[in-house]
This record gives sequence, structure tokens and C-alpha cells, in this order.
Amino acid sequence: MSRSTVTAKPPAPGLVPDTRGRRLPRTLHPVAWWIWALALATAVSRTNNPLLLFLVLAVLGYVISMRRTEAPWARGFAYYLYLALTVVAIRVVFRAVFATGITPRDHFLFSLPHIPTPDWYAGIQLGGPVSLEALLSAATDGLRLACMLCCVGAANTLANPKRALRVLPGALYELGVAVTVSISVAPQLVQSVQRVRRARRLRAGRHKGLRALRGIVVPVLEDALERSLRLAAAMDSRGYGRAGTATRRSRRMTGALMLLGMCGLCAGAYGLLDATAPQLLGLPALAAGAALCVAGLRLGGRRVTRTTYRADPWLFPEWAVAGCGVLSAALLFSGAGFDAAELNPSIYPLSWPTLPPVPAAAILLAGAAGFLAPPPTASRVPAQRTEETT
Amino acid sequence: MTAHLARVATALGLAAAALAVTTSPAGAAPQPMGQCTTSSGVVLAVDFSHWGGPVYRSCGTTPTTGYELLNQGGWATTGTGHDGPAFICRIGYSGYQGGKQYPTPQQDDCVLTPPASAYWSYWHAGPGADTWEYSQLGAMLYKPEPGSVDLWIFGGTDIEGTRGRPTVTPGQLRAHNDRPTGGGQPAPEDSRSAPALPPGTDTGPAPKRPTPTPSAPVSPSPSTSASPSPSATATPTPSASTAAPTPRTRVLDAAPAADAEHDAGSYLPAVATGALVLLVGGAAVYAARRRRRTE
Repeated sequence: MSRSTVTAKPPAPGLVPDTRGRRLPRTLHPVAWWIWALALATAVSRTNNPLLLFLVLAVLGYVISMRRTEAPWARGFAYYLYLALTVVAIRVVFRAVFATGITPRDHFLFSLPHIPTPDWYAGIQLGGPVSLEALLSAATDGLRLACMLCCVGAANTLANPKRALRVLPGALYELGVAVTVSISVAPQLVQSVQRVRRARRLRAGRHKGLRALRGIVVPVLEDALERSLRLAAAMDSRGYGRAGTATRRSRRMTGALMLLGMCGLCAGAYGLLDATAPQLLGLPALAAGAALCVAGLRLGGRRVTRTTYRADPWLFPEWAVAGCGVLSAALLFSGAGFDAAELNPSIYPLSWPTLPPVPAAAILLAGAAGFLAPPPTASRVPAQRTEETT
Repeated sequence: MTAHLARVATALGLAAAALAVTTSPAGAAPQPMGQCTTSSGVVLAVDFSHWGGPVYRSCGTTPTTGYELLNQGGWATTGTGHDGPAFICRIGYSGYQGGKQYPTPQQDDCVLTPPASAYWSYWHAGPGADTWEYSQLGAMLYKPEPGSVDLWIFGGTDIEGTRGRPTVTPGQLRAHNDRPTGGGQPAPEDSRSAPALPPGTDTGPAPKRPTPTPSAPVSPSPSTSASPSPSATATPTPSASTAAPTPRTRVLDAAPAADAEHDAGSYLPAVATGALVLLVGGAAVYAARRRRRTE
């Protein structure tokens, strides 16, 4: 009981490099960025207020321009923005085509040709008058989805997708290849587009329209597939996807536990979201599923031994970045200090949205990650070059 | 990015221009309850008993739609962000709790379609009918016939129709007088002058012609379990101006009232947000410039 705890000794003064008061550049733990971004996306899912959504976009832009590295996947945020714009545009077009009704109080903008539907199908209208209110509410609805998309894009831009794999539990090693390919597919596609476009420019490719599209899409798909295969081969040579010393019986046991646990999680989520489902399907099923999954991971992880070379540390900046993201989501969900109606301002009738101070402050707080994270390593030789020479 | 900003600016400009235009008044014709008879006018009833309130009923002229009835004479509705105004998510009456709309934003944020366990369900009873019929059309498409009753109740329903049926009967709500009462001129039919809808508006299927036999089905059998309140006597008393209340639900007449004043709010929060976004964006651009310089 009287054992004294040994505190970590600070490094000897001679070993600390002189940084002239600036923090040492290093890359933040990728999981910290993912927690931050997913928490922000959760916060965004709560609100429909265009002012708050634009604030989220600004904060994302600030953090990315402050803390992105020079890696190839870190240059792709603009592509996520294009994707977000497409989402908004699709939402607006759908609302205009599948008319949701216009009232005399709405502001009439234009009229699309109306396609009459039979009486027994009168619930759905095609075409007809389009009001400003309808387009604005579709745009804000799309903007919310676009913001969530940009949050995930920010995580992909800021975090190194391959280092994120290291924190995978041992039992998931068998799934490791699939997981890596799935979380790195977006960054890989972005890189491929960039490389193909650069190659086209070098060869003075000046095609426009469909021909240019064919010239980009085919090489991009081919490139992405090749890189995925290369990644899978590299992981295979490092021992991923091996059963290790596990016996057939323990592997089957692990598989059964995981499968049952996943089914429990699905049923639990369904029970929680559908209010008419029986009570037993909600939290109990969720808890049972989680317990089964943990047991499966434990059992599977016991047989896998692995070593890590230069593990990513989890220090104060990691806590700070993940914490400010989670705190902003918690503030938006708590509803403390603001009216829940302000998060979802009404468009019918048209009125200016308000800017509730607490949610706005919460979103700005998430932006603190821009200076809480250590500065990225400014590599003289960009990682892009070294990778391309391989 | 500049195109994006330009588009946003255009959208905001449009919104600002639209806010500056004075909104035209809602021109449907709400009537005092006495103007509704067994063969003219539509009775609109809304059940606030989920929040401890009464069942309000009011009268409107035909032709009309379920949506128009709910948006005249002090009534107001809110749609959802996902489905637009046609999906009735909130209902408020200016004479009840100061026009507060229910469910409140704390109970339902009205962004997505409400769940089937808690929403405003829409019921019809044709002239003389004694049972409620679940509406097969939305409020904007349904055209009630003269002498019918429209009822909105809050709660959950299931597909079999066993749950969530109204506890009030049509007989408690409908008008039983043959001619308009309560003084004033009898409201002539079709005298309403609503503002013209924009061209090409689909106003749904034509309304059914009223059946001229309002007294035909007068044998309600309580054992068929269609109406769960067999105690309510559906005997028509032509002189009664208010419905016979059951112990559970109070039925009050909602007099036509002025619409609640709409406040378009202030544009200052939008300007403040614009300044904030510019500030944060400026910091981002500055950081990017400095990074490019040091490289």
C-alpha cells in the first residue's frame, strides 16, 4: 500500500532541442483527429441553422489550413467541398421536382411543367410551382448533410489513414486489410485524381467534356485498384490476415461471438430508434451485443501478438483536440442556455435565423483544435515525391 | 470556391428581397361556428388533449382544402424541413396558449418526418357519417365536402387501424343545425376570395359531391368497436349549438381570430455570423499564406 509511484522523469535538459519557444512539430495521433471530426459531425446533425452550419464550414477550413500536413491525402479538402456542393444541388433539384406543395403565403419563384398523376396516386406530385421557401429549406437541409460530409473529409485530410490502422484491436487483424482499404479509399481516389490530372497537364491534354472525363476516370479507377492491391500485398507481407497460432476452434468461437454481437448491436440500434419496437429490443439488446463483441475481441486478441515500431504517443494535445470536439457536441446536445427551436429555425414563414450564442461558442471551441494541435512536420522532401518514386 | 460564395450571396439576397415584400393576407373564409350547418361549411376540429387542452372546433367555407382550414382564422401550422409545409408537424390556434404551436420544439424538432408513434393524424367524417375515416390524402390535397368534419388528433397509429382512433365521435363535433345560427348573414357558399394560387398548382382530385341523404345511416352499433366511446349519444339535436361533452374531452368552439403577427426577425445575427465567418476564414487564409512563404 505504501508503494511510491514513480513519476516519469522529464528529459534531460541537453536532449531537448532548442525550438525558440515554438512547439516541436509532430503529427497528431490520427484517432484524435477522427474523434474530433466525428464529434463535430454529431454536433452538426443536431442543427439546421444555416448560420451555425456556415460557421462549422469556416472552422473546418481554419483547422485544415493550420494543421494539415504536406502528405498527398492532405491536399484533397477541395474535392470534399465539391462533393458537398453536389449534395446541396441534388437536394434542391429534388425538392423542386417532387413538389411539396405551395401555399398562398409562400413566395412564388417559378413553375416547372406539371406531370399529372392519377387520383389513386395523388400523394406524389411531379413538377408544379416552386416557392422560395421550398428551395431555401432544401438548401439548408442539404447544407447540413454537406457539413457532415466535410467533417469526415477533414478527418481524412488531417489524419494519416495508414497510421490509424495501428490502433485496430488484435482480433480485427483478420479484417485489417478490408478496414484499411475501406477507410483509405477516399484519400486514395483523391490522390489518384491529382496524379492523373498532373500527368494530363504535363502531356498538354486539353480535352474538355466527355472525352476528358474518359481520360480521367479510367486511369483513376485503374490506379486506385492497383494501389489497393499493392497495399493489401504489403500488409500481407507484414503478417496481416494471418490466423497466427489460433486453433480452428478458437477462431470459430471468435467468429460466432462477433457475429452474434453484431446482430445484437443492430437489433439494439433498431429498437432504440423505432419507438414502436418492444422495450426488450432497445438497450438490453445493445448491451448484450456490445458484451458479446468485447468477449469476441478479447478471445481473438489473446492469440495475436504484435509489436509496434515507434508508436504514436497520446499526450496532452491529443486529449485537447479530442476533448474540444466532444465538448462542442455535448454542448449542442445538452440544450443548456439556448432554446432548442433556435437550432432548427422555421422557414415557413420566412424569417431570419438567429445565432444562439452557446452553440456558436461551442462550434468556435471546436476550432481551437487549430492551435491546440502541434504544428505539422514541414518536410523538405514532400511525402508525395518519395511515394511516387516507389 | 468563389462560385460557391457567389451562389450563397445570391440566395441570401433573394431571401432578403423576399422578406422585404409584405406578405399577402391569408384570404380564406373562417366562419363562426354557427354558420356551419349539416349541409354547408366544414367543421375543423383539433384535439389538444395530449397537452391537457380541449378539442377546438371551428367552421370554414367550401371549397377548401384541409390545409387552408388549418391556416385561417387564427389557426397556423408548421411543416417539416424534410417534407415542406404539406406535412402538418405542428398546429397552433391563437386562442389557445397564445397561439403556441404543438408539439413544441422541445418535443419534436420538425426537421424529419415525425415517427408514427407521435404525429398529427388526420381523420374525416362525411356528412351524416358516424365513424371516422383515416385520411388517404395529405392536408393540401384533400378537399372536404360541405357538411363534413375534419379532425386532427395527436398520437400514434398503426397500420391495422386498431391504435390511435379518435375518442370523440363525429356527432360530438359536427354541426346539427339545418340553417345558420348565431345572428349575422348566412354565409353564402363559395363567397370566399382566397388569393390566387400560382399557375400550375395541383390542387388534387376533385371533391366528392355531397350525398343528399344526411340522415341515412343513423344506426350506430357500439358493439362493432368502430367508435370506442359508446356513451356518446349520436342523436342529432338540431337546436344544440354546442356539442355534448364527455367527461374526458371538452369541446370548445374556436371563434375566428386574427392570425398571429409574423415577425421576420432581425438580420443582425446573419450579419454577425458573416463577420465571424470572414474572421475565421481570414485566419485560415493567413495561415495558408504563411505556410507557403516558409516552404
